[in-house]
Amino acid sequence: MRRTPDSTNTRLIPASVSIECHKQPNLTNIEEARSRSKSGPFSWQAGLLFLAAGGGLTFYFRYEKARMSRARIAEANKGIGKPLVGGPFTLTDHNNKPFTNDNLKGKYSLVYFGFSHCPDICPEELDKMAGMIEAVKEKHGEGVLRNVFITCDPARDTPQVLKSYLAEFHPEVLGLTGTWQQVKDVCKAYRVYFSTPADVKPGQDYLVDHSIYFYLMDPDGDFVEAIGRNFTVPAAAKVINDHIADWKGKIDRS
Amino acid sequence: MSWFTPTSPSSTLANPKASDDGGFIAPDRTARSQCWEGRDSFFVCLEKNGIVDSVKEDAKAREHCAPELKDFEKVCASSWVTYFKKRRVMEHQRDLTIKKLAAEGATPMEGSSAGGAGAAALRGK
Repeated sequence: MRRTPDSTNTRLIPASVSIECHKQPNLTNIEEARSRSKSGPFSWQAGLLFLAAGGGLTFYFRYEKARMSRARIAEANKGIGKPLVGGPFTLTDHNNKPFTNDNLKGKYSLVYFGFSHCPDICPEELDKMAGMIEAVKEKHGEGVLRNVFITCDPARDTPQVLKSYLAEFHPEVLGLTGTWQQVKDVCKAYRVYFSTPADVKPGQDYLVDHSIYFYLMDPDGDFVEAIGRNFTVPAAAKVINDHIADWKGKIDRS
Repeated sequence: MSWFTPTSPSSTLANPKASDDGGFIAPDRTARSQCWEGRDSFFVCLEKNGIVDSVKEDAKAREHCAPELKDFEKVCASSWVTYFKKRRVMEHQRDLTIKKLAAEGATPMEGSSAGGAGAAALRGK
């Protein structure tokens, strides 16, 4: 788009300046005016600002979109009425103290169901759990995540057995056990499939079938997400860390 | 007693020890890795002899891999022995199915968790 120098001259040079311009050679004014007309209203500074604003907005939108989808998931499981996963339970921890669903409140909780006589899957998952605990501590510090291992084999997994078993993986994993009925009830509340018969003879050698998920619960004790076996430690830690970062309430770090 | 049988595993696998409060002590890391090693050497022998299902082809497995099988059964609880044998068959069949599907042009699907953020995290977002 070419403008005629005459019209440009009259538009771009304000009246107050034009008086002084008579003192300088006319060439400068025309050169200036031409260069301005060539680039139009755009200068490189404007272009840079445009790109910076565009980039900033893109990042902001992406972040918000991810945050909203996480919030939707966290909220979806807080519906009215009976929760999809979770609920009241009463168990005994590996220090022989009572532990109920109320004890899960205040912090985020990572719950894993398994049994100590497991050949390979539970040890693998528990090693992953230890990795996840450390990754969360690295990002958010101490005291935000509680880690719980609930046995599906109460006949063999007594508090003492669980304590020594779990000590090999991570000192912060708390083992929970109970009577057969108590374990059955907590598995039902968490929709965990478990196949232990009620009448196991002492010393009997058997394996227990059970669902293999980590259940993430929020500081209200509500279910947030289930993390499956296919997750690597970094991917699982990211899911947990993002939810913790999104949490708007208080987390009891004691 | 342990110095007479230096290769014997802790007694917790083949003969579980009872704990003081009525439970049964679980195999620790050492016992587990001994069991896994026994399993692995048995499987290497099976591989060499082209046996996949050592439960169905038990006679053949005992014929070709008797020492490895004996060692395997010594270091692992019997429920674990059966479990590992069955798992070997399952994994073999799964690998065959995956190969078949890949040949048919299927693209791998990511596993999911119960939750979209999980699936998004899996994709590395």
